[in-house]
Amino acid sequence: MIPLSSRLLALIPLAVGINLAMGKFAAALSLPLFLDTVGTVLVATLAGPWAAVATGVVSQVAFTVLDGKLMWMAFLPVQLGVALYAGLAARRGAFASPWRAATAGLVLGLIAATLSWPIAFLLFGGVTAGGVTVVTTLLTALGVPLKWAVYGASLSNDLLDKCVTFLLVHVVLISLPKRLSARFPAADLARGRA
Amino acid sequence: MTLGYRPGTGVLHRAHPFTVLALAGTVAVLAFTLSAPLGPMLLTAGLVAIAVAARVSRTLLTALAFAAPFWVFLVLIHVVFGDSPDRAVTVGSQISAVLVVFLMTLAAVHPGRLVDALLERGVPFHVAYLLVATLQSVPELQRRASAILDAQRCRGLRVRGSVWGRVRSVVPLAVPLVLGALGEVDDRALALEARGAASGLRRTPLDPPHDRLAERVTRWALLGSVLGTIAWRIVA
Repeated sequence: MIPLSSRLLALIPLAVGINLAMGKFAAALSLPLFLDTVGTVLVATLAGPWAAVATGVVSQVAFTVLDGKLMWMAFLPVQLGVALYAGLAARRGAFASPWRAATAGLVLGLIAATLSWPIAFLLFGGVTAGGVTVVTTLLTALGVPLKWAVYGASLSNDLLDKCVTFLLVHVVLISLPKRLSARFPAADLARGRA
Repeated sequence: MTLGYRPGTGVLHRAHPFTVLALAGTVAVLAFTLSAPLGPMLLTAGLVAIAVAARVSRTLLTALAFAAPFWVFLVLIHVVFGDSPDRAVTVGSQISAVLVVFLMTLAAVHPGRLVDALLERGVPFHVAYLLVATLQSVPELQRRASAILDAQRCRGLRVRGSVWGRVRSVVPLAVPLVLGALGEVDDRALALEARGAASGLRRTPLDPPHDRLAERVTRWALLGSVLGTIAWRIVA
């Protein structure tokens, strides 16, 4: 069991709350995005990959419980992949500029889609969340084989979603007041100022 | 629709939380390992009978509402635009079984009893805290997100227009939410420190759920059924 400091114990529930509240913004702006990993990526930049992994696990459990659908636990590997990648990218200064953040986000989109499509295809026959499934259905109607339709739908969503997520976290990091920034030394590494 | 804990006196409400969780875990595994589509369909029928007997039958309506969109898309993808109706029935019945058992579990297991049961078994306090604090934080942050959205709309935030314009509109919404949450971390950390939350010492629950021998035997039987089914699938 990873020991958690009081600060991490305080940070993780708030980060999970951010993960689950961001969907409200995406819905209000009619954007085809989840934005459900902003909190996880933020924790990765502030406290490292293992804290992000803990955030990802708690986030997936909370989402499953609050949505009432146990099936979502099957997508836990995607949250873990996002957390580990974001933690490692942050250590390499991926949030130093908007371009670096956008590029790192696109790579994460590719990873997330690659992790999620076998789960969506093999376990759920290509039927998962609303928006992605609509794209899958449209591609299937156009004659695209199901496995490629599922991958195409995941990729189209994840590339934009993770790119916007990384850009948002970049903006948060450069907006971080010095008083807050001093509490999380890893943030400087993510911003390339270490 | 019924989602979350609802007080009751049925057999699942009286059961030890671990027994109900063991039932949910067993169904989740069996739904995907039993021969489809008959196995998952029989499993769902059995769960409906348990829900009625345990007086949590209102969750069946919620399960029906949750399962309906899955069935619609499965029929569209595999029957209307595809040629594998068997796959639609298989996946649909698997999803239905998992939905029913999980909603029953949420309705019958009080979160406080679950935390007490976990603490009694030596699960570190911070794990239980993370689960409970998260479930409390989510509605609070969703309320704040709504307030920020209303405030920024009053200031002229555009919620229509091009995709790029709408993506840019996420920034004035997300940044106040995230910075506001981060600003709370210190206060919460101090409160946790004062209560020794990170000390790692074992906590003693005041009134842990009673764990009877019959329930322990039931849990072992459920585990046996899972292992037996997996072994049978590997051999057959």
